[in-house]
Amino acid sequence: MSTTVLSVQNLKVHYPVRKGFLNFSERKFLKAVDGVTIELAKGETLGLVGESGCGKSSLGRAIIRLNKPTAGHVQINGVDFLALKGEKLRRARTDIQMIFQDPYGSLDPRMTVHEILSEPLQAHLKLSRKEMDLRIRQALARVSLRDRALKKYPHEFSGGQRQRIAIARALVLEPKILIADEPVSSLDVSVQAEILNLLKEIKDDLGLSMIFIAHNLSVVKYISDRIAVMYLGKIVEIGDRQSLYQSPQHPYTQALVSAVPIPDPKLERTRQRIAVTGELPSPMNPPKGCAFNTRCPLAVDRCREQAPALETFSDGRWVSCFEVEKKKAAN
Amino acid sequence: MAPILDVRNLKAHFHTRRGVVRAVDGIGFSLEKGETLGIVGESGSGKSVTQLSILGLLPTPPLKIESGEALFGGMDLLKASPSQLRSVRGNKISMIFQEPMTSLNPYLKVGTQLVEPLVQHRNLTKKEAWAKAVVSLEKVGIADAKSAMNSYPHEFSGGMRQRVMIAMALTTDPELLIADEPTTALDVTVQAQILDLLKSLQKETGMAIILITHDLGVVAGMADRVLVMYAGKAFEYGTTEDIFYRSQHPYTSALLRSTPRLDTEVGSLPPIGGSPPDLMRLTGGCPFYERCSVRLDDCKEIFPEVKTFANTHRSYCHLKELPQ
Repeated sequence: MSTTVLSVQNLKVHYPVRKGFLNFSERKFLKAVDGVTIELAKGETLGLVGESGCGKSSLGRAIIRLNKPTAGHVQINGVDFLALKGEKLRRARTDIQMIFQDPYGSLDPRMTVHEILSEPLQAHLKLSRKEMDLRIRQALARVSLRDRALKKYPHEFSGGQRQRIAIARALVLEPKILIADEPVSSLDVSVQAEILNLLKEIKDDLGLSMIFIAHNLSVVKYISDRIAVMYLGKIVEIGDRQSLYQSPQHPYTQALVSAVPIPDPKLERTRQRIAVTGELPSPMNPPKGCAFNTRCPLAVDRCREQAPALETFSDGRWVSCFEVEKKKAAN
Repeated sequence: MAPILDVRNLKAHFHTRRGVVRAVDGIGFSLEKGETLGIVGESGSGKSVTQLSILGLLPTPPLKIESGEALFGGMDLLKASPSQLRSVRGNKISMIFQEPMTSLNPYLKVGTQLVEPLVQHRNLTKKEAWAKAVVSLEKVGIADAKSAMNSYPHEFSGGMRQRVMIAMALTTDPELLIADEPTTALDVTVQAQILDLLKSLQKETGMAIILITHDLGVVAGMADRVLVMYAGKAFEYGTTEDIFYRSQHPYTSALLRSTPRLDTEVGSLPPIGGSPPDLMRLTGGCPFYERCSVRLDDCKEIFPEVKTFANTHRSYCHLKELPQ
């Protein structure tokens, strides 16, 4: 049995929103993440897919405590990460680092690469100058940038190179877990593969675990071992990458998989689409019962009343759907 | 059959204080009634500027049309007067853009915006135009079209806004629809809805579509012909099958190989090293030279002549044949 490095239990992120101007009485909540439970094994990459507004980024940020979780637990190597404070928190933070979507926005334009890479070290660890330089050079070499990049500023690099710098910044602290939030979606297609390969290679070489958040299922499938599909703040299905594509169970996963365009004209023209109507409901005002019931082709009355739980379906597969449960029981 | 739009050797350069940007540098394509042309390229490859310059939608200066012609119904759009262009735009040629929120006027009701092209180009009365606009909203699958006419753009979701944009583009029954990344801002399930809608509307009206996108999967499902652009140049042009199954250009085939696909298992994607060149620092050679894995000495200095494979397939590469 592999060891679990990260365990997230029933995590909720609810953002308070005030409706209307000067209306203090009515407090509403946007339930961005609404009870998510996932586990990440050592050396594993867990892909997190979903459409915009499904809460995948909020989840990633809440795990690393960039957002304050409303409820739930996050354990890193058995330690309750959400309860940590002060020096202990600072130390624990070196274990889990994040890479953001936009390498143009996430790097300070007024800092040199050297400053960008030394900042996390200064903030978290007390190292001598020599140790710091060594770590910085190691991280830079990891992402295949030359030492002379250290004196340059972010604008002197291309998008792909900037993302390498952002990866190096995450690596200087020698973390055990990486959370990558849409790390390639702002890059050109021809540059994406390079960054994906780099992330794969780094993860394997350093034995890291990774949560890879993206909306592009093809990209997620390429890099992940397991994939979790999110819809409106909840996980609707988890499974290993291949079986999730080959035999998606949840109606939303089925629709998602069939909607992803495949760059092969003959295949693309003969594929059967499982059409869903409409769009993601507002997370401010989620439908009663199963979150997907407003768009689901299989929805029955029960789905409009009760929310299904994430149940184990087969080997390592978890699905949250009454109809799938029923089908399984019938077999 | 005569093509609806025939573009030949279009060169459109931006003359800026820092130098000349060869945004579009020798592009040619044509398309027939009912046909879809996919234009594929990465950001900065000139795919949007090509269309905008044909329609005269870019300020001149800084843009200058250096050469070429764009024949549409016997008229050369590149030489047409502003008023001639106005009578074509939003009438016989319509355009939809990536961001439906920024291309709709947030201050005006959807109805007011939908009626405008009809009053402008069709000389309809407001009332007639209103009725026609309601019909076109229904056509794009907006259930309560009458109340939608009285709503503002912000009241719609992204997919619905794009439907409104499509309805607006189609009210005048255009012969050609130019769709610039129409689904890039949308989620995949909504993207599928919009693409299906475009396909069925095309079948119904017989309009031609130019679909600009960076997504090879979208092109594979939609296009009859494909033009691959890179750094302002046409690299390859052919039927969708030519491009996807018999690509003769190293960039196209490298791009196809480096794109992750949902249906196949690969251990590792072969990336294309480097990044697209600075358009300001282009030499006379092939702009892909630095990144090309099969480059020849000639490629550095000389941009290749066109090579024709079969009747439909053109590629711009010095290689005699691309090793498969």
